[in-house]
Amino acid sequence: MTEPLLEVRDLIVEYPGRRRGDARIRAVDHVSLHVGTGETLGLVGESGSGKSTIGNAILGLVAPTSGKILFQGRDVTQASARQRRELSGHIQVIFQDPYGSLNPSRTIGHTLTEPLRVVHGLRRAAAESRVADGLARVGMPPDTVRRYPAEFSGGQRQRIAIARAIIHQPQIIVCDEPTSALDLSIQAQILNLLLDLQQQLHLSYLLISHDIDVVRHMSHRTAVLLRGGIVEQGPTHQITSEPSHDYTRALLAAVPQASVPSGAQS
Amino acid sequence: MTTTTSTTRQATDPANPETSRAADGTGGGGASPRSGRRTWRAALGRPLAVVSLVYLVLLVVAAIAAPAVAPFDPADLDLDSVLAGPSAEHLLGTDALGRDVLSRLIYGGRVSLLNAAIAALTFLVVGVVGGLAAGFYRGWVDRAITGVVDIMIAIPGLIILLVVLAVFGGNMTVAMVALGVLAAPGFARVMRAVTLAVRAEPYIAAAQVSGLPNRRIIVHHVIPRVTGPILVQFSLFCGAALLVDAGLAYLGFGAQPPTPTWGGMIVEASTVMQQQPWLLVPAGATLGLATLAFALLGDAVRDATEERTGRTAFRSRRAPAVANREPVSVPAGDEPTPTALLRLRHVSIALPVNGALTTVVDDVNLDVEAGETVGLVGESGCGKSITASAVLGLLPAGAQITGGQIWFDGTDLTSAQPRTIQKLRGSRIAMIAQDPIASLDPVFSVGQQVSELVRRHHGGSRAAARTHTLELLANVSLRDPDRVASSYPHELSGGMAQRVALAMALAGDPDLLIADEPTTALDVTVQAEILELLQRLQRERGMAVLLITHDWGVVGSACHRANVMYAGQVVETCDVASMFRSPSHPYTVGLLQSTPHQATPLEHLRAVPGAVPAPGAWPAGCHFAPRCALAAADCGAAPIGLAEAAPKHLTRCLHHDQIARLEAP
Repeated sequence: MTEPLLEVRDLIVEYPGRRRGDARIRAVDHVSLHVGTGETLGLVGESGSGKSTIGNAILGLVAPTSGKILFQGRDVTQASARQRRELSGHIQVIFQDPYGSLNPSRTIGHTLTEPLRVVHGLRRAAAESRVADGLARVGMPPDTVRRYPAEFSGGQRQRIAIARAIIHQPQIIVCDEPTSALDLSIQAQILNLLLDLQQQLHLSYLLISHDIDVVRHMSHRTAVLLRGGIVEQGPTHQITSEPSHDYTRALLAAVPQASVPSGAQS
Repeated sequence: MTTTTSTTRQATDPANPETSRAADGTGGGGASPRSGRRTWRAALGRPLAVVSLVYLVLLVVAAIAAPAVAPFDPADLDLDSVLAGPSAEHLLGTDALGRDVLSRLIYGGRVSLLNAAIAALTFLVVGVVGGLAAGFYRGWVDRAITGVVDIMIAIPGLIILLVVLAVFGGNMTVAMVALGVLAAPGFARVMRAVTLAVRAEPYIAAAQVSGLPNRRIIVHHVIPRVTGPILVQFSLFCGAALLVDAGLAYLGFGAQPPTPTWGGMIVEASTVMQQQPWLLVPAGATLGLATLAFALLGDAVRDATEERTGRTAFRSRRAPAVANREPVSVPAGDEPTPTALLRLRHVSIALPVNGALTTVVDDVNLDVEAGETVGLVGESGCGKSITASAVLGLLPAGAQITGGQIWFDGTDLTSAQPRTIQKLRGSRIAMIAQDPIASLDPVFSVGQQVSELVRRHHGGSRAAARTHTLELLANVSLRDPDRVASSYPHELSGGMAQRVALAMALAGDPDLLIADEPTTALDVTVQAEILELLQRLQRERGMAVLLITHDWGVVGSACHRANVMYAGQVVETCDVASMFRSPSHPYTVGLLQSTPHQATPLEHLRAVPGAVPAPGAWPAGCHFAPRCALAAADCGAAPIGLAEAAPKHLTRCLHHDQIARLEAP
């Protein structure tokens, strides 16, 4: 692999303590990772492990305390508002909560076309056709644009959220727990959709999840996070079949086995 | 939604429980899901609000068009009729100098309403800008604005106002601006709080990632969500500003006679109160009603925003008890296992959805034997939790059991007195819920909450209860029971809180524990510990567990038998090993294949197309038929009964003998 598409070097993110004078809380501790073109990097960890903070730092939603974030070799750690606007055409996001991630008081069409017109300067017709194309790719009907988020189920909203990300024609999408709020059969549909889009659009994913099964299924490489630091990183099959760190082993062992009904034997 | 049903892979109905859950979720900022325009429309559905608005509009219009509508010049003296009561010529009478009261009232509105408007606009701009900036930008902006707000709230407003008037020589415009500024900090605080809530929603972050500038995000995505609180505060302050204006006039500030103002008219009337008390009425009533109208309008706007953010209220209608239930005869061969601790037979439950009673649980049979763990598996909206609520007699208001029996240890709970069920609850049947921290009372310590239950179930002295409490806490593997007993719920981790909830459930030594998604909110390593604990307690106590879950892993590691629910029905029942080895209902197969656990990485999962239909939109025959690869003409013809795929293995599928077709690649 030549230059990675996205690289994070020695990232540290600290939050101020709850009260003035409290020690700063280190959410991300010396994290380095990289994502290649067309590749999925899984970021697995439990709540409070800092996995979402890493995603937010890459998206520019939180300011890193130190370290570097490089996109196509370009330092975007302290990107200005204008650079961020330009980056929005390269780095996109899908959030966990399909209920909160769309503005409830706007139609889907309004929410999706707005950034295309305001940020990328597309004309109305061009923006609308790109939105229509995006919605078709995620399997939503054309009349979706006239409806409000409340009219859709969780799975449909997650499809719309994916459409919002891909209409920017990004190279990489940060998927922050994209299926955690969804039912099992819907999760399978969304994971399949993400796999299809990766093929069709040569996308890279940074897949953030607490569910090691999802990460194993979706990722080429996996990084395991514990208390803000990466304890193990490598090809997914290696991490899941021969974990080298105790925490990874504990994480794998803790997944209840759907196939081995031990309860039935007792 | 009719058009999308056929075209999308997962269409849904507005009545879908998932969708209504969404509507609940939007209330974060106490703001409206749609724009302020709809808030107004909802607010104006109320007669009092309409009357208030009409009155206020009349006042404003009259004041603006004063020269045209006023019958007399406000300064015209008519010394022949001084202090006259209402008459045909002077509709509201005349004052001490014989001037027409109605005309003075109309002209007075020009001054008073203008003053109030100046104050209110200042209030609006300062409060909204300050609050939005603090809530949206947070950090040092927030700290600076909050600091200023704190200081200003401590300043005595009236004194500052008098100082301003003294310095600016009684200039009312300056005074009204000062009034708006002085009152704005409280408003800014409200704005900051609602903005913070909206700011935390993911769609704001998504807009930022889209590259939208902050200014645009605030104007287009934050302000529309907080118009409710803005309108309420603004409306209330308009009334207050009118009163302050009148009060200042009473103190001799503002427009001087002969210019009419409402406050000035009250002052003049009060000097001749002995001769003509009527004179107080026109100005007093106009002012009082205006204040009242602003307050009523504010209330209406507040109610209108709250209505649509709150849960759709069930119209609490007492079920006509057992009367309208059809007697269900238990067919031969359908006899419950005589030993079963809990057995549900043909249980149907209906809930009011958009006013109409809709069946959400349909003909459910379920057995839980003493000492066994039974899984109830399915996706959201399948009726798992409502079935459990029915066992506990805790159905939501308006819901009713429309058929069948729930037998618990020989008692039919559907015909039992509420007192009987209440006695069972907590002592013989206990429950733990998904969100352990929310299920504990935040104001009492853990020890207080557990020992309250211990004393209720076992009586005894405080000391004995305390000992028993510590035993229970130790029993659920809490390492330091003493310390946990003295902690409050917010000091516990999710896993600890779930252990405490378990200890509370065990306080009554229950025979049956209903666990509703007990590990869903927990981390996977904690989940494993809780499942292990649940199994140990169940073995030690010989307790039966009904485990509601959507997670096959939980079923596999904790359950003896499992029931799969789909769209209100139990579609498959058997022991867990058979369920995994030879599932006999297409939905079970699909749900098992949906788990990525054993799938080939980076390849398509065998996803079931479509989504669970909403109650009320169930197909006539097999509920799963529209999503099923085995569906044939006979599936949609009539309701499908339970068939025996193997001994003790029931499936609600006509074509279960062809199930192997689904397994093939």
